[in-house]
Order: sequence, then structure tokens, then C-alpha cells
Amino acid sequence: MNKKAGTAKYKVVIVTLIKIIVAVIMFSPIIWIISGGFKTLTEFTTSTDIIPKKPTLENYIYVFKYSNFFKYFRNTVLLMLGTGVGTLISSSLVAYPLARMDFPGKNMFFALIIATMMVPGIALIVPQYIMFGKFGWLDSLLPMIVPAFFAHPYNVFLFRQFFRSIPKELDEAAIMDGCSHMGVFFRVLAPLSKPTYATIAILSSVFWWNELTQPVFYINGDKWRTLTIALMTSFMYIKGNTFVINWPTIMAASTLMIIPPMLLYFFGSSYLVEGIKTSGLKG
Amino acid sequence: MEPPFIKKAGLMRKGGPLMKEKGRKNRHLANNLTAYGFMLPWFIGFICFTAFPVIFMFFVSLTNRRLNGISQFIGFTNYKNIFASSTFRNSFKVTIFFTIVMMIVTAVWALLMAFLLNYKQRLNGIFQFFYFIPSVIPSVALAYAFRTMFGKDAGLFNALLSSISGSNVRINWLYNERTVYPVIFFITLFTYNTGQMMLIFRSGLNDVPVDLYEAADIDGAGFWTKFGRITLPMISPVILFNTVTGSISALNGSFALLYPLTGDTGDPNKMTQVLSLLIYNEAFSNYKVGYGCALSVILFLLACVFGIALFGISKKYVYYEN
Repeated sequence: MNKKAGTAKYKVVIVTLIKIIVAVIMFSPIIWIISGGFKTLTEFTTSTDIIPKKPTLENYIYVFKYSNFFKYFRNTVLLMLGTGVGTLISSSLVAYPLARMDFPGKNMFFALIIATMMVPGIALIVPQYIMFGKFGWLDSLLPMIVPAFFAHPYNVFLFRQFFRSIPKELDEAAIMDGCSHMGVFFRVLAPLSKPTYATIAILSSVFWWNELTQPVFYINGDKWRTLTIALMTSFMYIKGNTFVINWPTIMAASTLMIIPPMLLYFFGSSYLVEGIKTSGLKG
Repeated sequence: MEPPFIKKAGLMRKGGPLMKEKGRKNRHLANNLTAYGFMLPWFIGFICFTAFPVIFMFFVSLTNRRLNGISQFIGFTNYKNIFASSTFRNSFKVTIFFTIVMMIVTAVWALLMAFLLNYKQRLNGIFQFFYFIPSVIPSVALAYAFRTMFGKDAGLFNALLSSISGSNVRINWLYNERTVYPVIFFITLFTYNTGQMMLIFRSGLNDVPVDLYEAADIDGAGFWTKFGRITLPMISPVILFNTVTGSISALNGSFALLYPLTGDTGDPNKMTQVLSLLIYNEAFSNYKVGYGCALSVILFLLACVFGIALFGISKKYVYYEN
């Protein structure tokens, strides 16, 4: 008995140690980014100390003063809002009949939605580029915001899973009372699905805050540039010198960019876990 | 006239057989129209943003369309050129290699983290925060952090190795043909993909019935026996889901990671030029949009093959409770 307790204790120490090592590995790039933002260019290119010898704010001053940071920030926020509102409305509407109604072709449509989930967006981006060019939408946020209003397969799937977990008696009772399907959706299911709306709002916001691929393809000019492209272009070089990469400024801008998703996760994590759990893979 | 699905419809139960035939038909028609009405956004989206681009892509791939829109029908010339091109053959190999290895590496790492987090302890919330947070930050920021951490001068990794070995290590990890792959796959552990998989594995592990482990404990089974005989079979549907989504996001997400990390030319020596980077390079740096579309068709078909292959494998190995 005593021996068993001894090995259990030993096990706890080992597991805790592995946990801490993994945590350090996972967090190292973030520490590196934050520390780099407070270094001067000379220190960044000569020293690997985590705590800067002479901490400086010059990188942040550069980002705010000499670049259009606020404009890029506004563009990214507009992109997040537009796509978020679009996908929340359209994806939940599309998920409703898939979860709650019977109609011809239901299984086929659902299979098609799952199949489109598997198509990598990057494979369709060139034809879409030509198409959006014909619409005159290039160099704006429209190629990303407009499709969001026409349902995103993955979000449809998450909504459907959650709707199915709500007892069907609730909407049957509502229909008995003369409620239409619209009424059931807006008065019964939508209010009960707040955790899923929150989950998808968080996932979608984080996705679009981080998204690089589509803006790289669709946006050329400075006017609608998002923060992710700005990080690759606008803070890249020392003023007037395209040969020396201004790493500490990139790190300062990166620090500003990693804070919002971290905060979103921090305050939304309870929703996130709940939303993903309830949308598990069975059924 | 009436299709069999009507038997299942909820309306029948309420109306019952007493309802008049005509009224029932009308109500069914109304019911179906309502359902299609709800689905309308997806119908439009599917046709405009998926089906049409797929068909259009096949057509453009048969032309020599340039970025400025000038195009001419050239039949299968693009495909002939693609299969004759060593750049493409290299890129195709790199894509398959990258996708499969990234899928395995990230899934194993995610499972490891999920395992550690499911070991109930105080402060687990903080650990989960640390494990998950790299996957919610922009891939560009991550790529730049690692470009400097694995850089030759003043790189964190070289400094660590120097202090361990005592000699001055100066390796340019991302530009060295022998080190680039291990480093890139290490970096994929920090992508969104891994965090997502970790959360899904966690809920999968939680769903494994505890009595199975208790029974195994009574039989004196060790950790690896329990892992191989209970855990793996019980979470196999979750593993399948994660490998399918993982391979798609490896095909899809490699652009956002590798473009800021190694550029669209796939340094060093095209070793990291996956198909998505090649498509960007051909269509936007060389202005060959028709050629880029032909490459996109191949990437599209490759994704289909991956999806079908994974589901084929799953039929054999995945265990479903019901």
C-alpha cells in the first residue's frame, strides 16, 4: 500500500514536469515576440536575452506614428464584423431545417455541405479571384464579407449539432400553439443556442483577425490592407532602407496583434469548450 | 406520388390519417418550401462560391489566360506543361510529404497535450491556456517569431545549443537543406490546427467510459496496454475526424504559414514550395492565371483523393459504438 502511494506521487511529479515543459515550449514564441518588441534593432540582432537590457518604446512609437496602424486595425475590425454577422445569421438559418425538418433531399444536401467542408479554399481562390475581379470587388473587403452571408459549411455543421441537442418537444409544443417555423427558430431555438452563437462568433473573429491567405490574394493597395498583410509589408523595413528588416518593430506590431485573440480566448474559453463539446461527433 | 419520407415527417403524427388528402399535400408543399427557404442562403452560396468556381476553374485551365484577362483556348497544353515541369513534380511531392507528416506530427502532439490536460490537477485551466494560445495568434506573427528564433545570428535556438554544447553554434535552420524540414514540422505544432485537434481530443478522451479502465486495472493492465486496447479504439472516430480536417487544413493552411516563413519560391531550393505557394507564384508573380487554374484543379483533385482515402481507411479501423 505504502509503495503504491509512493509510485503515485512519483507519477504526479513526472506528469507535472512534462506539463510544465510543454507549456514552456508552447509559450516560447509569444515570450520571444513580446520581448523583441521592447528591444532596439541593435540589441535584437546581437542578443538573445529574454529581458531587454535597455527596454525601449521606440518600436511602438514607430508603429503608431509612422504607419497607418489605425487604418489597418479598422479594416481588420470591419472584416471581422462583416463576416461574423454574416455567418451567424446565414449559417444558423441554414442549419435549422437540417436539424429539425423533413423534406426531400435533406440527406443529400447535408452530405454536400460536409463535402464542401473538405474542399480546401486555396484550390478555388484563383477562379474566385477572376470572378470577383469581374464584379469589381478586388482591392476591397467584399470578396470575403459577401460569401459569409451565404452560410459557411463548418458553422452550419456546428449549429446543426447544437440544435439537435435541444429537446424537440420544445418546438413541437410551439408549433402546436400555432407558431410558424420562423417563430420556432427566432423564439425557441435561437435564444437557447446562445453558447453556440458565442462560440462561432469567437471562432470566426479569431479566424478573420488572423487570416492572411485571402487578403494576400484579394487586396493589393494600402486602402483596405488588413493587419496581417501590413505585418508583411508596412513595418517590414527600416524607413528608406529596404535591405535591413526591422525585426523589433515587427515584434512590437505582432505583440499588438496577439493581444486581442488572447483576450478573446481568455474571456470566451468557457463558451468555447462548451460549444465544441456539445457539438461533438456523435449523431 | 407520395415519396416514402412522408412517413417520417412530424406533420403526419399530429394530423393523423383523418386529415384530408388535399390538405395534407398542401401542408407538405408549404413545409418543404419553408425548409428550402431557410436553406436558400446556402443554395446561393454553394452555386456562386463553390460550384461555379469549380466549373469555371476547369474552363480557365484550358486557356492561356494571363492576369490582365487576355486568354485563348489551348486545350490540355497547360496540363502537358505541368506534368513535364520538374518544378511541379517537386512541388507535388513536397505537398504530399508536407500534408502527411504535418497531419501525423500535429495529431500526435495534440493527443499528447490532451492527455496531459485530462490528467486532473489544479491549475489545469492555466495549462490549457498556455497550450492553446499559440493556435489563436496570427500565423504571420508566429512565422516571424520562428524566423528569428531559428535565425543564424542572435537566434534563440542557436544560443540554447551554444550554451549546452559550449561551442558557438551558427546554423541557419530555415535555409539549411538538412534542417529545414524538422524545423518546419516543429513550427506546425503551434498552428491553429493543433489547438483545434487538442480540444476535440480532450472531449473524445472524456467520453471514454471509466469502467473500461477500472476493469483493465483489475486485470493488471499497464499504461500502454490500456492505451492501445482501450483508449485508441474508443477515440478512433475522433482520430478519423481530426486526420480528415487536419489533412485539409494542412493543404489549406500551409500557405499562411509558409508564405511568410519561406516565401512563395519555397526556400531553400524549392524544398518548401507546396502547391498553394506554386499556384500563387505562377498566377501572380508570373501572371499565368490559366496555368495557375490547371494547378488548382490538381490541388482540388488531390484534396478529393485525400478525403476518399481517409474514409476508405476508416471503414477498416474505426470503431463505432452503435
